Amino acid sequence: MRNPIGWAGLTAFSLAFFAFIYAPLFVIIGYSFNSNPVNMMIWESFTLDWYTGLLGLSDRTTDVSNRAAYVESTGLMLAALRTSLTVALFTTTISTVIGTATAIALARYRFRLRGVYNGFLMLPMMMPDIVLGIGLLIFFVSIGMNLSILTIIIGHCTFLTSYVFIIVQARMAGLDPALEEASADLGASEWVTLRKVLLPQLAPGILGGALLAFVISMDDLVITYFVSGTGDTTLPVFIFGMIRRGVKPEINAIATLIILASVVIAALGLWLRSRKTD
Amino acid sequence: MAPLLEIREARRSFVTPEGGRLAALDGVNLDVGANEFVTLLGPSGCGKTTLLRAISGFESLDSGTMRLDGADLTALPPFRRPVNTVFQSYALFGHMSVARNVGYALEVAGVARATREAQVAEVLEKVGLAGMGARRPGQLSGGQRQRVALARSIIAKPRLLLLDEPLSALDRNLRQQMQLELKSLQHALGIAFIFVTHDQEEALTMSDRIVVMRSGQIEQIGTPREIYRHPRNRFVAEFIGETNLFPVTIDRVEGAEALARTAEGVEMRLPGKDRRPGEQVTAILRPADFTLGGAGIPGRVTRAVYLGSDLYLFVQPLAGGPEIRVIARDGAGFDEGAAVHLAHDPARVHVLEAA
Repeated sequence: MRNPIGWAGLTAFSLAFFAFIYAPLFVIIGYSFNSNPVNMMIWESFTLDWYTGLLGLSDRTTDVSNRAAYVESTGLMLAALRTSLTVALFTTTISTVIGTATAIALARYRFRLRGVYNGFLMLPMMMPDIVLGIGLLIFFVSIGMNLSILTIIIGHCTFLTSYVFIIVQARMAGLDPALEEASADLGASEWVTLRKVLLPQLAPGILGGALLAFVISMDDLVITYFVSGTGDTTLPVFIFGMIRRGVKPEINAIATLIILASVVIAALGLWLRSRKTD
Repeated sequence: MAPLLEIREARRSFVTPEGGRLAALDGVNLDVGANEFVTLLGPSGCGKTTLLRAISGFESLDSGTMRLDGADLTALPPFRRPVNTVFQSYALFGHMSVARNVGYALEVAGVARATREAQVAEVLEKVGLAGMGARRPGQLSGGQRQRVALARSIIAKPRLLLLDEPLSALDRNLRQQMQLELKSLQHALGIAFIFVTHDQEEALTMSDRIVVMRSGQIEQIGTPREIYRHPRNRFVAEFIGETNLFPVTIDRVEGAEALARTAEGVEMRLPGKDRRPGEQVTAILRPADFTLGGAGIPGRVTRAVYLGSDLYLFVQPLAGGPEIRVIARDGAGFDEGAAVHLAHDPARVHVLEAA
């Protein structure tokens, strides 16, 4: 028996909950199409200027008198985006390989201090970003390493490896150990078993971990802020810098594009996942 | 003729969580002939699975030797041993089709695709799954998965097939059907099977020989009939089938028969060979060994369980002592409370020397 009042209440609560989460996103998307350059909270008319402006295609910018400077800043933004993608790509690859290998090793082999390793792998996730960022900065400086895109990649790998590890480990824990035994029993060496049985079985976990690492790497501000040099800036750091000089309508356009990209990546992940499982 | 598999003095112990040592295999000696269906039977923790895993190579031995066709097995890693296993959980590869699962051993060995496909089709046919090759294991029923696991393990034509409680997940009807199919498959393939189970009925149905194990040791090896009719000790007698045990003292020996009496005064007759008056022994009688009639041990039916064509009776001897379990034909009016006499053929009594 359903209680109609309780049911209605639950529905209302759920809707309110989702509104709470998604309202800010929709506000930004809405503002990104508002042509009012001075006050984005007052609707003027629909425009795509901020999007075309981002690509340097539009005449209309927030600061028309300073158009040359603006085009340059558009170039900087695209450079930041390129840096972000490069960092995310390398970081995802490196942390996925190390995280997966570690998860397999810790699940399949018994050795001394196994629990300690496990704990140390969790620690970077719990550590506040600001502590990790300062620590990395001091470390790089003290070993005399110049801050560059390389230090950003190393910094991201330190904590993203843990994320991949956790996700792959969860998948590993749910795996029947008899699968690997069956493979060995049928004549496959450990290497062949890894390639033909273990990795395909772990694929959804590995994929999920890689996507998460990619998204977090793209998104990270605090740690990157500390370990990026003057030359290489990632998109979040660049946007953070822009906002400090006042919120321009272009920010909304950038945010909307990022939301769009995130949705596409998440959808891609879900689609790949549903294809992998029986 | 030398046996196919020869295990000598196999020992393996594990450290328990309490820090003690537990002997999973405690000096096991076993020979398995080519073409033989051998069952390892025993309660959980008796070492039967450890023994199987030692043969397949997933457990190592602390000491002892293991030879297959005269060649030492102990130094070989699992993937180099010419034995295959059917796992309890089937361990099918969920990301591969049924055909690829079945052909896995050939794929790994580098057999050409065309040959592989032909052999896969042949083996699938053999286990009754012709035409199912394109499916995923997830789309099959429990019984079909069992057959895929079986097909996968016989495609490489091992000399010895190990089966680790493969039928335990199936329902009763399917299990009985598979028992018969396994047996005839073993005949058709002409390879040796070592089958692990804790189900004594399953062991009796299928085996050429049964190995009864307890706490890492072999209690008895014999044909199903030997094990059932002539258990070597109390443990085997009680583990295999329903049993009535009578600790008795021999009263007197009259030719081929001996008269014996329990402490409560239940009288029975045993084979007289080798018996001496005053000797204390245990007499074993199966429930089906009694006939209900006018003579024999007087008693009263305390419970009657209907089994279809038979009745399973619990009879309390008037002299006292534990209840006797008896199987009788239904329809003769043996209701609860009825007075009965339990007669038995002295030759059917199996005698254990120890009381």
